[in-house]
Amino acid sequence: MKKNGKMNLPTIMKVSVLINKERRAWSIAPGDLLLDVLRREGYVGVKRGCETGECGACTVLLDGKPVNSCMVFAAQVEARKLTTIEGVGQTETLDPVQDELVKHGGVQCGFCTPGMVLNAKSYLAAHPKATEAEVREVLSGNLCRCTGYKKPVEAVMAAAHPGEHQCQQRQSKHVVVGHNLPKVDAVKLALGKPAFTDDVSLPGQLYGKILGSPHAHALIKRIDVSKARALPGVHAVLTYKDVPRVPHTTAGQAWPEPSPYDTFLLDSKVRFVGDRVAAVAAESRAIAEEALRLIKVDYKVLPLVLDMERAQDGKAPQIHDEPDASGIHDAKHNLAAAIHKHLGNVEEGFRQSSVILEDEFRTPRQQHAMMEPHVTLTWLDSDGRLVIRTSTQIPFHVRRQVAMILQLPVQKVHVIKPRIGGGFGGKQEMLLEDICGALTLATRRPVKIEYTRKEEFFMARSRHPQKLRMKMGFKPDGTLVANQMTVLASTGAYGSHSSTVQGNTGSKVLPLYRSPNMKFDCDIVYTTTPVAGAFRGYGCPQGFFAQESLMDEAAERFGVDPIELRRRNLIRLGDRDELSAELGEGRKGLARLMRSCGIMPCLEKGAAAVGWEEKRRRVNNPKSHLRRGVGVACSMQGSGIAGVDWASVFIKMNEDGSFQVQTGAADVGAGADTALAQIAAETLGVTLDKINICSGDTDFTPFDVGAYASSTTIISGGAVKKAAEKVRASLLEAAAAALDVKARKLSIAGNRIISTDRREWPLADVARNIMYKGKIQIMESASHFNMDSPPPFCATFAEVEVDTETGKVRVLHMVTAVDAGTAINPQLAEGQVEGAVAQGLGLALAEEMRLDENGRMINPDFLDYKIMTARDMPKLTTILVETNEPLGPYGAKSIGEVAINGPGPAIANAIYHAVGIRFRKMPFHSEDVWRALRQKEQAPFLAKAAARGK
Amino acid sequence: MFDHIRAFHQPRTVQEALKLLHRPGVKACPVAGGTDLVLRAGRSVTELVDITRLGLDAIRRNGRGLRIGAAATLAALEDSKAVQALADGILAKAAAYCGTVQMRNVATVGGNLANASPAADTATPLLVLDAEVVLHGLRGKRRIGLAEFFLAPHRTAAAGALLTEIVIPAPHPRARFSLQRFSRTESDIAVVSVAAGLQLDGKGRCQWARVALGAVAPVPLRVKKTEAALLGQVLTPEVIERAMKVAAGEARPITDIRASAEYRAELIRLLLRRALLDCARQRERAQ
Repeated sequence: MKKNGKMNLPTIMKVSVLINKERRAWSIAPGDLLLDVLRREGYVGVKRGCETGECGACTVLLDGKPVNSCMVFAAQVEARKLTTIEGVGQTETLDPVQDELVKHGGVQCGFCTPGMVLNAKSYLAAHPKATEAEVREVLSGNLCRCTGYKKPVEAVMAAAHPGEHQCQQRQSKHVVVGHNLPKVDAVKLALGKPAFTDDVSLPGQLYGKILGSPHAHALIKRIDVSKARALPGVHAVLTYKDVPRVPHTTAGQAWPEPSPYDTFLLDSKVRFVGDRVAAVAAESRAIAEEALRLIKVDYKVLPLVLDMERAQDGKAPQIHDEPDASGIHDAKHNLAAAIHKHLGNVEEGFRQSSVILEDEFRTPRQQHAMMEPHVTLTWLDSDGRLVIRTSTQIPFHVRRQVAMILQLPVQKVHVIKPRIGGGFGGKQEMLLEDICGALTLATRRPVKIEYTRKEEFFMARSRHPQKLRMKMGFKPDGTLVANQMTVLASTGAYGSHSSTVQGNTGSKVLPLYRSPNMKFDCDIVYTTTPVAGAFRGYGCPQGFFAQESLMDEAAERFGVDPIELRRRNLIRLGDRDELSAELGEGRKGLARLMRSCGIMPCLEKGAAAVGWEEKRRRVNNPKSHLRRGVGVACSMQGSGIAGVDWASVFIKMNEDGSFQVQTGAADVGAGADTALAQIAAETLGVTLDKINICSGDTDFTPFDVGAYASSTTIISGGAVKKAAEKVRASLLEAAAAALDVKARKLSIAGNRIISTDRREWPLADVARNIMYKGKIQIMESASHFNMDSPPPFCATFAEVEVDTETGKVRVLHMVTAVDAGTAINPQLAEGQVEGAVAQGLGLALAEEMRLDENGRMINPDFLDYKIMTARDMPKLTTILVETNEPLGPYGAKSIGEVAINGPGPAIANAIYHAVGIRFRKMPFHSEDVWRALRQKEQAPFLAKAAARGK
Repeated sequence: MFDHIRAFHQPRTVQEALKLLHRPGVKACPVAGGTDLVLRAGRSVTELVDITRLGLDAIRRNGRGLRIGAAATLAALEDSKAVQALADGILAKAAAYCGTVQMRNVATVGGNLANASPAADTATPLLVLDAEVVLHGLRGKRRIGLAEFFLAPHRTAAAGALLTEIVIPAPHPRARFSLQRFSRTESDIAVVSVAAGLQLDGKGRCQWARVALGAVAPVPLRVKKTEAALLGQVLTPEVIERAMKVAAGEARPITDIRASAEYRAELIRLLLRRALLDCARQRERAQ
């Protein structure tokens, strides 16, 4: 492209390839990368995950060898042989690697799966006797954020060694529930079918791009978009002058949202590096990028607030000085929200205490790094309604938010949630849908915006960094009598999820231990840094890091086993957690009654699995620079937001005795569709294959708040069970009429109607009769919510080896024992635990968004933002401790989040056990560990020197 | 995005490639595996010249040494029996450290060197092996030592010439080699790497020594003072300690996102000790 803004016609060259055994000739531009050409030509199983060769989602086989297609020029494949996932396996005849991935639960969101399949398949072809270490080395070329790699590695091993590595089958008192059934969408995902948002393109579609601010805090004095608008191929350029100014929050929460309305579609002020300045829609990504370069902006740069401890000091500039924002606690002092709650009187508690511990802890800014970056496609349907196909956890909130921001009636917005490549809270946020919709309204054309990985790091959300002060007081017998936490958190430039995430830091953490006196104080401040938001654990990983570390110190002070001190104080069956009543979702909440509680057996079984007794007593060889240790941490979470989260489900019967289950629940890759279908099948008395599940479409499914707060299984599952029970009753009544048998003498099992006198009729026949002869559509709906949020419990054990020379911490074994009630699908439940553990390990050891002195992130790629690979993962042991939760369908509680809380403190405690140093700042970088070890080594000498000095 | 690229050439001979790279008025850039180029190419480059079809990918024995075509992939090095058998496998091991399997299948050894990253994994073993690089220019070819090839981060002495071959002489007889590397996670760029080669005589005295450091200076560094500190010495703890100190002094580590200069200096010391002891252990085992 030339500087005068006119585009040269791209030079076209031809390239001919043999792809999936078919000869193809493509017209390409000389600089086209293979990934772009493949996706353009319809090979959409090739995924775009990072474009820097780190993630492996775009893997294809070039002459039989795996390569990242984002790093190969299309021109280079001339006359060569390519294989994409489209050339491997078919629905009925999967490749062995695909088949084992499906069976072993190795497919979660499925975004990384095609790359994994190709990479593993190629390796096994050359190395049929592959070892686990080799498989891990190979799969370390495919980043996966969902599985923790355990099940994918098992699956590839099973493909390599048929007959070995069989999947575990589960005993269950139910027919469908409680069994390890493959995910209902696993086959299509393993085949790389076009199931994700970006896999669809529409005629006339434009490419949207957002201009991000280079400054962390600035006013837009002048913005000149004339050159950008004049560039051929550009259809719209929007700035704050062109769009409605509607204060809102991007947090996807139930109305009325507890987050402040402090955000605008586009604004004349920018508050972090990457904040929206303008948006462009053009005929190609290249033109859109060129248009961004042509936008001239004069900024008045304002002072920054990077340090959260300085945000409120009165000298800091006010970040939100706009008069139309609302819901901000104290905008003048950059205080987005503040929380002050207590039970009893902690001061009195500390007076009664013989042992008081107090320390400060810090946690980093972590990003979700789901493999599929945010992506949205919007268009106007033939009725002129705005359709939004988007990678979201919250289709119904998105509909409401976009309608408000773009000033459309809710009725005129249709949100579709296809398959999602992971969310982890990052997509509990309306992030691209509003601006993409605005571009569609401006151009009347379909518009697609997808974040690049770099944009994802700069513009999307992250975990709130916190500074926590934790103080615990114990009586001489080790009974906790005062538990106090004081938190300072940064929400970044906008207050998305600010009060609720931090509310959780107190309400889900402190009540894990019985104490008559608890106090939680928290300030959540604005800073001119990337925006924080919802992230798996939702404030709990920070809180448990502090509490579980200090609990470990307390045990040492008392000279008792850390498990024993926890046992004495842990919450028990029948206890009421009153703090949750004080700390609700941004308002007064509800007390939690422990109707099920398996934390004690979690501790017992976990300790046995890690070899606790023996390893706690083990003495390290003083001559070796390698020291081992084990540590433990307990945690809990919730199952939905009590009195807030609700879901509804519609079920209808088809004439062949199958059922449509329509739910607003948003499966983001974790397997909600499967769990909900299992609940439906169990309740209806049919096999899983008789359930068609349709989810997350605001036109075709009833309301659901979406996938967050560990709510789907218990809340949406509760709605499914209710609706299915009603369908079953209606069906039996209609069947009674059709068969001339009393309804109370009929039941349904195994896809058959059965009478008490042992007569049987295939459900398919009865269904056809009911519909065509009886002229009745069997259909029912139900809504569901809970006034309580039963906590799942978790005991996490870590065994580590510290290299005392380099400071490197190697985690050898993670044992996670979880009470999630009764698992609807144990294999999927384990997958949730293992994925959460991998993210928790990342938080503990490596992950940290780092900013320079200008507030600009300096590691916005997977080269320097390290997430765990298959080779980095330790041995994982997952134990599901079964309890029966009365409020959950078939006794289920939640499983999605709780396991992310433990790795940080368990590893910190294990490091202490190994080398005697407490680390109170995550992540535990090797360099920090090395520094602390060196200080400790020098400490005796320094003490001596100081003594000599006197 | 490479929408600014106007032409992609696929020459079949080195001469043809050189002509394409030196056309007046054109900023052309050679491309092999592309793994560095895709990340680093500026928008001023307008043409790309593919050098993967010039027949430069052979790995051949050269007496007890090796000649490696610059376009040989890192995967080819990793899997080559000849490379594995050379110098206790340090070059094969270094190749295996580079990125992921998908990257190693396209990235080339020539690219790893010509990109001139201070952290280039194949550079330290090749320095220890006294490797030379063959540079093809329009006016003929020349051969220079690898240490002379690196000038600064991402700058080499190629001066428009094409790196076509790496020549590894026969390693010192009875020398043992070791490669030590520290990174934050398993699949990661090196924070520090140390390659060493030692030949100890019957009395354990060091007859020949080579030490090279990666990621601790503007270029991969052969540290001759460290080598001198080892020559003629028995590897006592004191000698090792002194070599560690000298090596840390010869390096010029910087502070970046991966590590501080201070930590890097400590890692140099630690990894050097591990490398020297590893060489000595291997010798004992061989005896």
